[in-house]
Amino acid sequence: MSYEQMNPTIEKILANIEKVMIGKRNVAELSLVALLAGGHVLLEDVPGVGKTMMVRALAKSVNAGFRRIQFTPDLLPSDVTGVSIYNPKEMEFQFRPGPLMGNIILADEINRTSPKTQSALLEGMEEASITIDGVTHRLNKPFFVMATQNPIEYEGTYPLPEAQLDRFLLKMKMGYPDLDEEIEVLNRAQKMPPIEDLHPVIDLEGLLSLQEEIKEVFVDQTIKRYIVDIVNRTRTHGSVYLGASPRGSIALMKAAQAYSYMYGRDYVLPDDIQYLAPFVLSHRIILKSEAKFEGISAEEVVNRVVARVPVPVRRLVK
Amino acid sequence: MMKRDFPALLLYTFGFLLLWEWLRPVGQLTETGNIGTFIVFMLFSFALSFLQMKWVWQGIVKVLFILFSINRFYYDVGFFQFSWLKSFAKDLVNNISLLFARQWNDLSNEFRTLLFFILLWLMVYLIHYWLLNRQRIFIFFFMTLVYITVLDTFTLYSANAAIVRTVVIGFAVMGMLTYYRITRKEKVNSTPTFLRKWMVPLAGMIAVSVLIGIASPKAAPIWPDPVPYFTAAKDNGGDGKGGISRIGYGSNDERLGGPFIGDNNPVFTVKANGKNYWKVETKDVYTGKGWIPSGSTPITFMEGYLTPVYGIPNKVKTINESATVSFINNSISNTFLVYPAGIQKILQVEPQVPQPYTFQFDSTKEKITAVSNGISNYRVEFGTPKYKALDLKETTGFDPSTMSPEFHQRYTQLPDGLPPRIKELTEEITAGKDNWFDKAREVERYFGNTEYTYDQKKVALPGEQDDYVDQFLFDTKQGYCDNFSTSMAVMLRTIGIPTRWIKGFTGGDFMEYSGDEQAKGIYQITNNNAHSWVEVFLPNQGWIPFEPTKGFTNEINIDYTTGQTSSNNQTPPPAPVKKPQQKDLEETSKPKSEAKFFDLNKLWNNIQLFLKNNWLLIMLVIVLLAGMAGILYRIRGKWFPFVLMVRYRFRKKDESFGAAYLVLLEQLDRFGIKRKENQTLRSYASYIDSFYSTREMTRLTHLYEQYIYHQQLPKGTWKESYKLWENLIKRTIA
Repeated sequence: MSYEQMNPTIEKILANIEKVMIGKRNVAELSLVALLAGGHVLLEDVPGVGKTMMVRALAKSVNAGFRRIQFTPDLLPSDVTGVSIYNPKEMEFQFRPGPLMGNIILADEINRTSPKTQSALLEGMEEASITIDGVTHRLNKPFFVMATQNPIEYEGTYPLPEAQLDRFLLKMKMGYPDLDEEIEVLNRAQKMPPIEDLHPVIDLEGLLSLQEEIKEVFVDQTIKRYIVDIVNRTRTHGSVYLGASPRGSIALMKAAQAYSYMYGRDYVLPDDIQYLAPFVLSHRIILKSEAKFEGISAEEVVNRVVARVPVPVRRLVK
Repeated sequence: MMKRDFPALLLYTFGFLLLWEWLRPVGQLTETGNIGTFIVFMLFSFALSFLQMKWVWQGIVKVLFILFSINRFYYDVGFFQFSWLKSFAKDLVNNISLLFARQWNDLSNEFRTLLFFILLWLMVYLIHYWLLNRQRIFIFFFMTLVYITVLDTFTLYSANAAIVRTVVIGFAVMGMLTYYRITRKEKVNSTPTFLRKWMVPLAGMIAVSVLIGIASPKAAPIWPDPVPYFTAAKDNGGDGKGGISRIGYGSNDERLGGPFIGDNNPVFTVKANGKNYWKVETKDVYTGKGWIPSGSTPITFMEGYLTPVYGIPNKVKTINESATVSFINNSISNTFLVYPAGIQKILQVEPQVPQPYTFQFDSTKEKITAVSNGISNYRVEFGTPKYKALDLKETTGFDPSTMSPEFHQRYTQLPDGLPPRIKELTEEITAGKDNWFDKAREVERYFGNTEYTYDQKKVALPGEQDDYVDQFLFDTKQGYCDNFSTSMAVMLRTIGIPTRWIKGFTGGDFMEYSGDEQAKGIYQITNNNAHSWVEVFLPNQGWIPFEPTKGFTNEINIDYTTGQTSSNNQTPPPAPVKKPQQKDLEETSKPKSEAKFFDLNKLWNNIQLFLKNNWLLIMLVIVLLAGMAGILYRIRGKWFPFVLMVRYRFRKKDESFGAAYLVLLEQLDRFGIKRKENQTLRSYASYIDSFYSTREMTRLTHLYEQYIYHQQLPKGTWKESYKLWENLIKRTIA
């Protein structure tokens, strides 16, 4: 990817995040891709690797309000969405907005809460609005959720249903920092966390206009065909019980547009698709139980699928 | 196990046909008159097996069939009068004890039939097993081929059609079985599309290979027919089975020459008033290597009627004679019949049947064959001509009023490239003679000089460049009848005298007096008597035989008294009513068919001749061209880039860029740096660049990405990037 210049704004945002996050540039990039494409991110990782830090840095860089919801088994939907409270002075119910009404939301350990609460969050993510007591409240724009779930089977977790996993544009793992990086983390931890010193790079208006620009990124017919080929192959792959839906194709295209834009291009390359496919598709397919027993992961399956689909190198014959 | 569907039915049918190929020669070569029953049994067994009848019932039905057949063959009593069963059971017990005593020759016919039925039963089961369970048939197919070819070689059975049938069936079966084996092994569902994709090319390939096989020229056998050799070595006198020697008839004469092995097995005997040459057929086209007939015009005629053989003209006196021919082996009468010159009728054909026998006569080859096989005896009536010397010497040149130009052309045909010295020699020999007969006599006598010797062993086979006649006349000068007769025929043709080449038998050896006043002697004709000679056409006298071969004589009656020629003698003999008719038949039917097919035939002959004479050269050129093409293809990586560079150097339009980039990809592929299908151009480019340590491919690829994924190209791209492209192409040459 060295040949191209990154979009200067994006470069600045990433630099901002890197001031507080050591390493993990790819996670920052992908989070930014999701934010720019108007999607949401599911992070699958253990606590303490810097998820919160990254989301806060991201929020700060785009000058957006940051909310955090810690999901617990006894959390109620209204704790997420907000609640109407009777105001005796005014003699009417008043809506007190919940944490979902922010711009950038960290939904921590989403699989620890009841499905009811999960679906309140997920509905908001999909519809960009919530309905309380018959009144529909539009959510703020931009609206970006970064949810985390524990990969290990804890007792008392409620795994997210497949249909709801589909709502996340990307799913990724953060992973532990490597040795040098972790030492650097210790160095930084001796000082004050510099998160409060970060300056916004753009404001929300700028972010919205970026999102609009991304929709203009050109996707050629060959690329669309390539996307559809890949998604189609996930449906016929031997280890897959249920392949990715057309929503998966759309998600892959949108993510690729954002990614291309990030790298200063106004058109999508097959390279973008290849890079993004595992992040976009792996949580959208359900493996057969045999495959699970054999220890094949969904990411591996998607990678194999991508390796099987020929890259288009000619113009389509009209 | 397979389902019993249409393909299975087809496989069964093929299996049946293959097994039938084993029975066909049996019917022909043995005395079995009931081969039909066995075929029905076979068909029946296949059907039962296909219908998946329970094996118990199958067994019962088959046993009943066998018993019923044996009853019908050997017992006069009805099937349901069970007395015959008793005697059959007794016979069975006897035979089983004979088996244990190993006295196989004494086995009774009933028992043999039973054994044969059991064998067929086993074979049907085995084929069923091979086809449906093992799904492999090659061994059986191969054995069938061996069986057929062995029979073809050592018996009278002609496997020309059988081999084609077997190959077609065998390939079809093996192709189908392979398909089913693969689908079974790979657990693929056989869809109609798959089936079509497999079966259509299979059928196509079989058709093409069979057509090529049939159409391609076949080399004559390198070894002489081994049968006479073996039988002669055994000195197995009276057998004569398949006794056709190399110089005989039947085998083709396209390539004459080479030694042959003598064979004194008798072919037929003749009861007659003297020795006669016996004709079998004539050939009229000389190819430079041998003789071929110019065509085929079959006519049929009946026993007792005038034969449609070109007769002796009426003005030539004939003496009526008759002779009786008896074949030693009566199975060759549908291969040929022998007849003397001047034949008029074939009568008293034996064995006698209610209907008169029908014969076929090929008027181009003048060959008579019987339509049915098995004739043992027949009598021929013929007229021995008595020529007048003056009449014979009348013809001095070609005259269109006495001979049609087509006819003359046909019998003076010569191959292109016939060495001119043959004509020079002939002219030298015949100098001073003015008429055709004297010229022919001079040539005939010329072979009597000591330069030429008769030999059967040390005879050359002409090479590709040699002419058969030229080689004999000027180089080898030793040979047998074919050399002498062919040479004479060709020599006379060079000076415009119509000749043809006759194959048949000499008069054979005198055996004994018959005691019959009409036909006093009995003569035996063996394969060694197979012979060839020449006939010269004189318009007023017909075909006159000549005998150029050293040591042979075939004198014709010539009246040397001077005086009136018969043409002046105006008293025409009381002609038989049918004779003019016969002539009409000859004269009208022949030119017609000739006019119609002449050009095509000639063209075809020319093509064949050209191919035949030049095939080595043609093959050489093809091989050379193929080799060169192969080498060019192998080293295309070295020269093709230059072609590409020239092609793209002068392109100005930016559109060329896309094509040029793809060409570069192909060239890199040829060079050995292949892009994997799932590799993006960008990663491929960086790989190429790391390989050549440049940045050229990446720069070029960046432009191409815009071209293909963005559908736009900045103006002047090709002009700018041409250098990059050319550099990369050049790198692949280095």
